[in-house]
Amino acid sequence: MLDLLAQTGLNAVYAASYISLVAVGLVLIFGVMGVINFAHGELFMAGAYAIVALYAGLNVPFFLAVAAGLLFVGCLGLLMERALFRPLKDNPLGGLVASIGFLMILQALAVMGFGVRMVHIPPVTQEVIAFSEKVRLPVARLYVIIAAIVLLSALWYFLKRTKFGWALRASAQDPEAAALQGISITQTARIAMFIGAGLAGIAGALTAPLVSVNPHMGHSVIVTAFIVIIVGGVGSLEGAIVASVAYALVHTFVTTFWDGVLADIVGLSLMLLVLIVKPTGLFGSADRA
Amino acid sequence: MLLEMKNIAVNYGKINAIRNISVAVPEGKIVTIIGGNGAGKTTTLRAMSGMLPITAGEITFEGKRIDHLPAYKVVANGIAHVPEGRRIFPDMTVEENLRTGAFLRKDKDAVEEDLEDVFTRFPRLRERRTQMAKTMSGGEQQMLAIGRALMSKPRLLLMDEPSMGLAPVIVEEIAQIVEEINANGLSVVLVEQNAELALELADYAYVLETGNAAMEGPADELHGNEHVRAAYLGL
Repeated sequence: MLDLLAQTGLNAVYAASYISLVAVGLVLIFGVMGVINFAHGELFMAGAYAIVALYAGLNVPFFLAVAAGLLFVGCLGLLMERALFRPLKDNPLGGLVASIGFLMILQALAVMGFGVRMVHIPPVTQEVIAFSEKVRLPVARLYVIIAAIVLLSALWYFLKRTKFGWALRASAQDPEAAALQGISITQTARIAMFIGAGLAGIAGALTAPLVSVNPHMGHSVIVTAFIVIIVGGVGSLEGAIVASVAYALVHTFVTTFWDGVLADIVGLSLMLLVLIVKPTGLFGSADRA
Repeated sequence: MLLEMKNIAVNYGKINAIRNISVAVPEGKIVTIIGGNGAGKTTTLRAMSGMLPITAGEITFEGKRIDHLPAYKVVANGIAHVPEGRRIFPDMTVEENLRTGAFLRKDKDAVEEDLEDVFTRFPRLRERRTQMAKTMSGGEQQMLAIGRALMSKPRLLLMDEPSMGLAPVIVEEIAQIVEEINANGLSVVLVEQNAELALELADYAYVLETGNAAMEGPADELHGNEHVRAAYLGL
């Protein structure tokens, strides 16, 4: 029993890692651009297909392919900023609808390029860290956990300790006042889109060998990310991370001890509960919501 | 003239917010713009800092046209704007707010010195250095907004209603600060609902009425003017 608990705990940490990478990017984009990026799950999917094309297709070394995936999806983010969100700046609903359109384009491109079926990716490593006979952590999962810790720490440092990080937060909190400090809102929007999309891309790339890669894989990821940012408090990065961990724990434990459908129901119920008890989310503040 | 606004008009959609407004700010002086609600004071100030596009006229700062520049580029020329309602960054610390004011500056050592100067001028900001800005009182937030503007090392400071919503004691304190920074050589444009305070501080004053220039003159002269006394000073 203790073994099962420990193993489920490890699984939850892995799930929390990629969920938080996706959710934090979504929060960052929402905070700075004021737009809900519905295509965020497809950016995750695009990161996974970068691995399909480069690592599985062209035999590029895995970590090089991951880095390329990060850059590629980051650039997709820049494209979205330029082509969709900037022209629709004064129209948040328009931005949302445009992002839904972009989602469909990305899905269609994935289908055209790679087909609708799941793609098999050769494992990156078969190595497993065995804590005991029944408690095992595949190294491929460890990569995801390490990436989440390193990237989220780096992001935290960037936002709290550097000039451009302050500029990003200032633009999120009051764009007009930020402009009065000499901050170009277009530039901070670009930075936020690149980082936000890039985080989704690297999460997709790193998890690609561990999940079934298909053109519609973004769907479940985005639903989870939305639950997490609502629970954490829309606009709060800390909230997104804490809620990712909490959600992953609950979801993984319910899945393991009961079943996956029940886990989804429990997850959504938790979101409703938070909305009833504290409508701004755990870390949200009323003045920003 | 440090800043000159000539025959400016600003429209909100089809509505004419201000027309034919001219304001001149001499180096080292405090110029005030007074008037009632909706007279166009804030609009005039926002046109100066590039936050609103003008539809007629021109604005020059130190002889250079700035009226086509977006707000974030106007700052680079040496104009800092303390906006109406303070508009500090609520979820950033006091120090982060101040350092964000120095966003465009490359002279790191001088930024540290100026930060020290701001903390010396506003000891309460030093005490609250690591506190989130939203947790401070209205007066402290106003001081933070002024400090943030000073961190860009401006040559002209635009202030929009710095006394709004503050207790009389605090208003007095803010007035003193405005006088001090002006005495240190910084030119100021002060937009105020509180005409008594504004005319007391300023060297020169403009009176706006429903988007038009109604009157202008040395502040002490306007303070003695019968129309101004009746309409704005309640005397």
